[in-house]
Amino acid sequence: MKRLKDTVPNALYIHIPFCAQKCRYCDFNSFVSESTFIDKYLTALEKEIAGLKGQYVFNTVYIGGGTPSILNELQLEKLLRSVLNNTMLGSETYEYTVEANPGTMTIDKAQILKGYGVNRISVGVQSFQDRQLKLLGRIHSGDDARKTFDLLRSTGFKNINTDLIFGCSNQSLSDWEKDLKTVIELNPEHVSTYSLTYEEGTPLTRDLDNNVICTLDEDTELEMYKTTIRSLTLHAYHHYEISNFSRDGYQCAHNLIYWQNKDYVGVGAGAYSFVNGVRSANEKNVCRYIEDLHNNKNIKPFHECLGQDRHAAETIIMALRLRQGISNADFCERFGYTIEDQFSEQIDKFRRDGFVTFDNKILKITQEGLYIADTIMSEFV
Amino acid sequence: MSTERIRNFCIIAHIDHGKSTLADRLMQKTNTISSREFRNQMLDDMDLERERGITIKASAVALKLIKDGKEYNLNLIDTPGHVDFNYEVSRSLGACEGALLLVDASQGVEAQTVANAYLAMEHNLSIIPVISKIDLPQSRPYDVLTEMEKTLGINPEEALMVSAKTGEGIDKIFDAVIERIPPPKGNPSAPLKALIFDSVYDEFRGVIVYLRIFDGAIKAGDEIYMMKTHQSFKVEEVGVLKPKMLLKNNLLTGEVGYCIANIKSIHDVKIGDTVTNNKDRAAEALPGYRAPMPMVYCGIYPTNNADFHLLREALERLSLNDSSFTFEPETSQALGFGFRCGFLGLLHMEIVQERLERESNINIVQTAPNVTYEVLKTNKEVIKVDNPEKVPPDNEIEEFREPVVRVNFVLPTEYVGTIMQFAEARRGRYKSTEYLSEKRAILTYELPLAEIIFDFFDKMKSATRGYGTMDYDFIGYELADLVKLDILVAGKLVDALSTIVHRKDADIKGRKLVKKLKLEISRHLFEVVLQAAIGSRIIARESIRPIAKNVTAKCYGGDITRKRKLLEKQKEGKKRMKSIGNVEIPQRAFLSVLSVDE
Repeated sequence: MKRLKDTVPNALYIHIPFCAQKCRYCDFNSFVSESTFIDKYLTALEKEIAGLKGQYVFNTVYIGGGTPSILNELQLEKLLRSVLNNTMLGSETYEYTVEANPGTMTIDKAQILKGYGVNRISVGVQSFQDRQLKLLGRIHSGDDARKTFDLLRSTGFKNINTDLIFGCSNQSLSDWEKDLKTVIELNPEHVSTYSLTYEEGTPLTRDLDNNVICTLDEDTELEMYKTTIRSLTLHAYHHYEISNFSRDGYQCAHNLIYWQNKDYVGVGAGAYSFVNGVRSANEKNVCRYIEDLHNNKNIKPFHECLGQDRHAAETIIMALRLRQGISNADFCERFGYTIEDQFSEQIDKFRRDGFVTFDNKILKITQEGLYIADTIMSEFV
Repeated sequence: MSTERIRNFCIIAHIDHGKSTLADRLMQKTNTISSREFRNQMLDDMDLERERGITIKASAVALKLIKDGKEYNLNLIDTPGHVDFNYEVSRSLGACEGALLLVDASQGVEAQTVANAYLAMEHNLSIIPVISKIDLPQSRPYDVLTEMEKTLGINPEEALMVSAKTGEGIDKIFDAVIERIPPPKGNPSAPLKALIFDSVYDEFRGVIVYLRIFDGAIKAGDEIYMMKTHQSFKVEEVGVLKPKMLLKNNLLTGEVGYCIANIKSIHDVKIGDTVTNNKDRAAEALPGYRAPMPMVYCGIYPTNNADFHLLREALERLSLNDSSFTFEPETSQALGFGFRCGFLGLLHMEIVQERLERESNINIVQTAPNVTYEVLKTNKEVIKVDNPEKVPPDNEIEEFREPVVRVNFVLPTEYVGTIMQFAEARRGRYKSTEYLSEKRAILTYELPLAEIIFDFFDKMKSATRGYGTMDYDFIGYELADLVKLDILVAGKLVDALSTIVHRKDADIKGRKLVKKLKLEISRHLFEVVLQAAIGSRIIARESIRPIAKNVTAKCYGGDITRKRKLLEKQKEGKKRMKSIGNVEIPQRAFLSVLSVDE
């Protein structure tokens, strides 16, 4: 077997596992905590970031959560300063994203972010309708979301993403169309639209199991998805990933790293890294993460070395999320064999049914294929 | 030793009434085995038997007893305790002059007690009634005695009360065996005539045949001749079982023992066959022989076609030790290459399947079991149909016949109504009700074997809260209005899903079956149409709607591992499915034809 070329990560993810309130659908690693505990966490995180010094040049940095914007001004500065001091940012074209939630953002925080070179904000809007927000367990109103957006614009942020969720129980197609209309009016550079997923162990899923709520029927959900693609593309957004839309030149460079299955470094409790074919994860438990870092112990309980074939298969399934797909040349360059060498049977089958194309030796999912992407991907593992 | 000092007997009982424990105690009391060698229930050879608490294969053990200064040779012949092995039981009984009829002091007379007692009476055995487990607090020996008197005509004064556990009453059993069971008769100077009542396969020595000598004698070096299979073998060794093999110079008239004769395959030895001397043959064979007749068949296929040879090897290994299990290669359009396997009955099928799973590591797909039908064709030819695929076209069938069994239920009287409904719903024909006591009755029905083939026993058990027992025996083939019900998946006939059903049930069964399959088969990217058909007539239709949306919305850093593992798991699950055309059918679906009633 051909040895894979060594690869070097140039993306950094930083996890802030704190929230003002846990959302009812959320199964992420996040908690409601006292400010003093957050301080302890940031100290530990700072130590982990300091360990990166001199190792990498990052073209993208992404601070996610949780809710990074829940940090107070001092905490925010402390975090941004340690990033600044310990990492090298690639060039003038770097992308530096911080997630922010309505109800936690202030002008001061926005200015601090701006001052430390953050050039992209991802706002967790989810919905502009209070009924939906309540059902999801969000702390803010639709109006708060609009205000936060305006505040960021007035602070000078020129690259803003808004996250939206569709497919809630009892949500009608016209409810969703209203949300889409509002977001188009706000005119962000990037929009992520996620269909609601009932994750195991969340309060929302318990409601579902206890028949307090029911899932939306598949046809309506599909119609919502199709409507999303139709109206956003009509308003000059490129549909570049299953759930993501952007204006020209505003694709999220950081997330593209994930979808291209390229290397990245993750820091913070529960954060994943993928370096040179090895995927690893940090200690998820925040207390233990703090303690282990404090005691200079190993903070990575999970390691997985992907073999070349698995790495390649994973790369294909992630690339199928992207409308640009993956080219044979690119694939071959990374794995030493062509896509057809491994997957010709699957490609032939799905091409016949119109779910993928392989024109000019670029494997791409079609719009029809997008709706059933998981079924398609399951043939490529 | 003169035949005067020989007693050949067996223990007959319902499952779990303490037969094996009593056998253990008899062996211990006669020092046949030392305590060191003793493990509970010595006679049950296979672990599986031990686990299920039942005896599958008959064995024999020679007990030496000194009474009043005389040495007696008592041969205890064990009998299989289940209805599927009725023929084997009858051959074991045929080797005896007497039987201990064992009844649990708290359970009382059960279905198999009755069946086995009648069988013993048919063989003119001297019956010694024994009431067991009298040490248990809930025992009611005198009620049980009344039940035995009423149903079996047992003289209560003849009954012995024992506890195999405490040893109480065991000595009286020995006395009764010696006094009440006659010694074997027979002519020592006549040509050899011996009954084969069991055989086992030994990896090193070949087939070991268990024999009862009726006339003459057998010794190493003799050339023997099997009167039904017409094969001859040279005897290498004879001996008795104590219960380990103990070499002897010869086996004489009236004796019970084993014989090793360089027999390679267990299929060369038929239970019930008569062994004679090849050079000095007996004029006629012992009565009662019957060729083994599988009553239940099912298809067994490897999930992965490449495992076909492994499956064959596994089945061959199983059949080494089980002469009544048959298998033949067959091809299914749906399932590929596999085997049609024949069993004596349902329990037998279950035992074989369990052993197959335990002793090999092959994923198998099993088709719904079916009974053996008989078809009289218009050209007057009678064919056996052991697979729905073999049903001739409608216009070639003059008569379609199915096997019918007589079923005896022994149950508390309060459940009689429930079981009657239950039997009627399955085309049962009421025969009689007999009261054992105020509280218990024997209910007799005649039922098509096909109707009791799957979950009948379990359902009967739960309908009677475990108090009911049942026993059945084959009474013959009867004309029935039967049809083959076919299933089409995406327009393709799936042969492995075909069943033979009664015409009046066909529509309902067809509808239920496609509904059930709809639940078992997952959605595909295209619509999957399921149809039930009789001949070319479609009687039911369901469709499985295609997947409209199946896409994970979010997939970032840490989600990738999770996502990939999920997809890998799905792919693994698919491997265990059978592809018919473009449709993936899970294993469960092939058995769903069995449980359409739920």
